[in-house]
Amino acid sequence: MRQEATGFAATAGGAQRAPGRAGWLLLSPLVAWALAFVVAPAVIMLVYSFAHRGTLGGVRLGFTMENYAGVLDPVYMQIVIRSIGYAALTTVICLCAGYPVAYVIGRADARWRNLLLMAVMVPFWTSFLIRTYAWVTILKSEGLLNSLLLQLQLVAEPLEMLYTPGAVVLGLVYTFLPFMILPIYSSVEKLDGALIEAALDLGAGPLRAFSRVIVPLTSPGIAAGVLLVFVPSLGIYAVNDILGGGRVDMIGNIIENQFKGNARNWPFGAALGTTLLVSFALIYWLVNRRQRAMAESR
Amino acid sequence: MKRFTSLALAVLLGGLFAAAPLAAEELNLFAWSEYVPQSVLDGFTEETGIEIHYETYASNEEMLAKLLSGAASYDLIQPSEYTIEALVKEKHLLPLDHAKLPNLKNVGKEYWGQPHDPKLVYSVPYMQGTVGIVVNTAKVKEPVLGYADVFQNKYKGRIVVLDDALEIVTWGLATLGLGPDAVTKENLERVRPVLAKWLPLVKVYDSDSPKTPLLNGDVDLGIVWSGEAAILIKEQPGKFAYHLPKEGAHMFIDNLCIPKGAEHVEAAHKFIDYLLRPDVSRKISEEFPYTNPNVEARKLLSDEERGNAASYPPGDPKLATFRDIGPLAADVDKLFTDLKAKSGS
Repeated sequence: MRQEATGFAATAGGAQRAPGRAGWLLLSPLVAWALAFVVAPAVIMLVYSFAHRGTLGGVRLGFTMENYAGVLDPVYMQIVIRSIGYAALTTVICLCAGYPVAYVIGRADARWRNLLLMAVMVPFWTSFLIRTYAWVTILKSEGLLNSLLLQLQLVAEPLEMLYTPGAVVLGLVYTFLPFMILPIYSSVEKLDGALIEAALDLGAGPLRAFSRVIVPLTSPGIAAGVLLVFVPSLGIYAVNDILGGGRVDMIGNIIENQFKGNARNWPFGAALGTTLLVSFALIYWLVNRRQRAMAESR
Repeated sequence: MKRFTSLALAVLLGGLFAAAPLAAEELNLFAWSEYVPQSVLDGFTEETGIEIHYETYASNEEMLAKLLSGAASYDLIQPSEYTIEALVKEKHLLPLDHAKLPNLKNVGKEYWGQPHDPKLVYSVPYMQGTVGIVVNTAKVKEPVLGYADVFQNKYKGRIVVLDDALEIVTWGLATLGLGPDAVTKENLERVRPVLAKWLPLVKVYDSDSPKTPLLNGDVDLGIVWSGEAAILIKEQPGKFAYHLPKEGAHMFIDNLCIPKGAEHVEAAHKFIDYLLRPDVSRKISEEFPYTNPNVEARKLLSDEERGNAASYPPGDPKLATFRDIGPLAADVDKLFTDLKAKSGS
């Protein structure tokens, strides 16, 4: 993932040397890791996605397009579309909420900066599941938030917050917000203040300086943040089970069900997984290409 | 983890002393999470010196996936009745040696003659449960006697159900007068309009801990595992009531089986017999208040435990087990996925 501050064509133009023998030796653990844990599982998934359903789970090897036809079935398409909707909404909220935070942290003086960065990262020290269950305690009808609102007499009846689509979006935003803040922060941190001053000196208002100078210069961070939020929030399934009451199935839930639920339909689960993987690769490629085009145009 | 450590140790030691004798006897148990009390495991190790490695799963399907992948070898598994039917069909279970199970006589006679394994050749009942209606009587005043009573518009947003396609489909079938063995393509279409009306009323789908939203006051009634309801009744006496749906209820029997390829068949028999001992079986009931198939152990229960309507439903209820439905499982799942997606927001 490219995270250069300004997006000046650092990798786009320069010829890259192939690593020498010593280089390969140093790379070998990484290559072995990637082969064993990235390439091999993806290949197995691809092979399974064309196979037949096994009686007790598992697969009978063979070649059929049935599983991919299933992915296009309206029953599953409605869930794919809904998942994309939730992931897109999560990404937009994370961007709107995360950008100002990242900007403030990036422009703060060093002492504050580390403290604020720490505050963003501290939640990572606790398990994601425990943090999600903590939201149940806050949102439930006899929970912390409702007691507070009732005490302050802001509401007469407890609000229905847990097990709603809103709770799912809240959980997703809460989970992924740091993934938006951190890459944008790293772009903002390297932002050259002189360029902003120049824009202001040359007559740009603050809004224009922001949209024409600051945003383009931090766009690599934005792109990385968008990818890091959108892609995992499309595949996650625990948040909607815990905070959504299992009512809002997403692609992740459907895939899980093919392996661990009643369905026992591994090939179909593999086909869904392969479709997701290919879509992610495509999105990544498009974003990257755009970044490169932008960098070259400057 | 323990298993891995001992494996690593074995490899290390094996390298040092090529002909080293085998370590203490052991048993690889693969069972439901939250189902076998630690005190029972410890008691067995203390008595026999056999060390138990307890690995857990959360669904029959998860167990099948790991068992059949062959990645690890298990000596004892704990499948439900419909999974046993499938495992027997595919010849994945070892017949049990009844001569080594003298305590088998403690199993109630109603557990013999069940369709999945009528002569208990491959399986010994561990715990039995039902799926029934639990009601918060402080919030719901009218009687709720059947599935159709639960799914009424006035309870919209107050209902928790199991997140389980087959369960919900069979409830719908029951209201049409059909048993859980009537899952066919035609009947799935007949049940579709029933479920299409029900699902928009549901607030929470949860198979792991459906008691939680009831305890938290987020819902007022639901259809849940009897063991979950029994815990609610035990923890807040008088507040929750449980009964079996009048249309007919689903009963499940979780069993102990020895899969083919087991390495410690002898130890597995010993452990099964140990679990069948009344004093041991009674300890399991104390922690996990399902229906105990062990009639001798039932005699040791307190009046309060025996009187818990979720563990021991009064009367002579109409109960049926699930059957293996083969590839239809995928159709059941698809129907449920579709209706859930359309009823959600």
